[in-house]
Amino acid sequence: MTITIALSKGRIFEETVPLLAAAGIVPAEAPESSRKLIIGTNRPDVRLVIVRASDVPTYVQYGAADLGIAGRDVLIEHGGVGLYQPLDLNIAKCRMMVAVPEGFDYDDAVRHGARLKVATKYPQIAREHFAGKGVHVDIIKLYGSMELAPLVGLADAIVDLVSTGGTLKANKLVAVEHILDISSRLVVNQAALKLKYQAIQPVLDAFAGAVPA
Amino acid sequence: MRNWLLPEHIADILPATARQVESAKAAMLDLFRSAGYELVSPPLIEYADSLISEGDDALDLKTFKLVDQLSGRQLGLRADITPQVARIDAHLLSGRQGVTRLCYAGSVVHALPSGLMSSREPLQVGAELYGYAGIEADEEIIALMLEVLSQAGVAGLRLDLGHVGIFRALAAAAGLSHKATRELFLALQGKDVGTVNELAGRLAEPWRAAVLALPELYGPADVLARARAVLPPLPEIDAALDQLAALGDALKGQAEIGFDLAELRGDDYHTGLVYAAYAPGWSEALARGGRYDNVGERFGRARPATGFSLDLRDLIRILPERDSVRGIRVAAAQLPAAKAEIARLRAAGEVVLIDYLGESAEALYCDRELIPAASGWQVVPFN
Repeated sequence: MTITIALSKGRIFEETVPLLAAAGIVPAEAPESSRKLIIGTNRPDVRLVIVRASDVPTYVQYGAADLGIAGRDVLIEHGGVGLYQPLDLNIAKCRMMVAVPEGFDYDDAVRHGARLKVATKYPQIAREHFAGKGVHVDIIKLYGSMELAPLVGLADAIVDLVSTGGTLKANKLVAVEHILDISSRLVVNQAALKLKYQAIQPVLDAFAGAVPA
Repeated sequence: MRNWLLPEHIADILPATARQVESAKAAMLDLFRSAGYELVSPPLIEYADSLISEGDDALDLKTFKLVDQLSGRQLGLRADITPQVARIDAHLLSGRQGVTRLCYAGSVVHALPSGLMSSREPLQVGAELYGYAGIEADEEIIALMLEVLSQAGVAGLRLDLGHVGIFRALAAAAGLSHKATRELFLALQGKDVGTVNELAGRLAEPWRAAVLALPELYGPADVLARARAVLPPLPEIDAALDQLAALGDALKGQAEIGFDLAELRGDDYHTGLVYAAYAPGWSEALARGGRYDNVGERFGRARPATGFSLDLRDLIRILPERDSVRGIRVAAAQLPAAKAEIARLRAAGEVVLIDYLGESAEALYCDRELIPAASGWQVVPFN
């Protein structure tokens, strides 16, 4: 019974390596240096597939991978349909924030019921957040360099992930609201957890035992 | 103009698959019939408020709606046949006091596809048993579900048993509001432990510990023993665990059995036992069902009910194509002399077709031909 784990390159992969090690899984190659999309491991029954972070839930939902590791941001945008999310791995932590240009009076704009233009890569999270506050917004979906949008007048505010705040600062933006704490979650295909219980459960248990505090 | 284009998640069923679908459907209905289930064919459209019970938001979103020009009322295209069959049992067949067994096979339409690979026009096949609350009814229905799937050629079946009553008992005992119950229900469906932790934080003990334990109560039979140890001894919970244990014993040998006490993936109307069948190759459950006592109440008669359904199109997608019988070719020149012989062969169950153009055996899907012989007609190999 082979199990396939979907991971994305970069921070999530690096912080997952110790968890994999706890389950006795060592990747045969580093995805940063290899161009392969399917990577073997020291265990013949475990393989890794390297996909874009935002595609992890799709691969797992479809059953192309049994397990995957994805940020809470990605999972909320995806909707989580057809997935189990049995473990908060406490890795790749950051915060989802609302940020505006220095000098923009966000509270005042919100108070006056202005219709804000919000640029983001996370339309679901942004829409839900502003709806909860009772503020009308027009969402502008962007795929990167969100910080630029307010500077060139494309948006009043952005909703984005913040880890150190360095990028905001360099572009003269300030974070004005904290929406969610983000960390990576282990996701499992629902049918796989039933059909491959014997193979998957030990990996889950090992991960649970190795989650950083 | 691309007027040949179909809407997303809508597809034709082409000859090879159509043959397979029809023969599988016929075999399923035969099996139901032999177990005493009577066939019903509810309508494609009904008043929306009879299709969708109040508060069933998921089914409401799934249902295409239009306005009836005759009555001015809102109509829905059925997205699920089960509530229609419940209506039939509760109202049209309300003269029957005993057990009523009904089955059906028909297309339903979904405004939103239920999964990535799902058709928006599933072919729903199912069976329902009304009027008996005993666990034997669930056992009968589950055994039928497993038999229908193995008969269709599914190998490596795994049966998953759950019980919505456990969660409902906990939510009621903890005094959760309707909204909080709903949120927790959704989080548990996805075993979303992060969210369950957040939501359960507000609960008092022992309810908090019990809710936190639910997402981990899945796996083989030892789950039930673990559940008895960690869940509070509410009578509803004890009864649910007893039912699960009894069913697990009764169905042993028919499929590999697992339990999942956070398995709340039944529909909104499920009230007790829920069950689903999984098999290698399908990334979702192949068939699912459960107990939905008293759904008929809004139609005038509350009755115990249990039943399952499956999407035949989804089932067929993975099954290997079965070899179907090739036909017998008759050259058009042999007509009308061959007419009587053709009729005889067709009556005997053969596929006999007239070849007007002189086509190949592959194009005609024939492996034999009918030719004149000294003593009448003869069927010989054709290739």
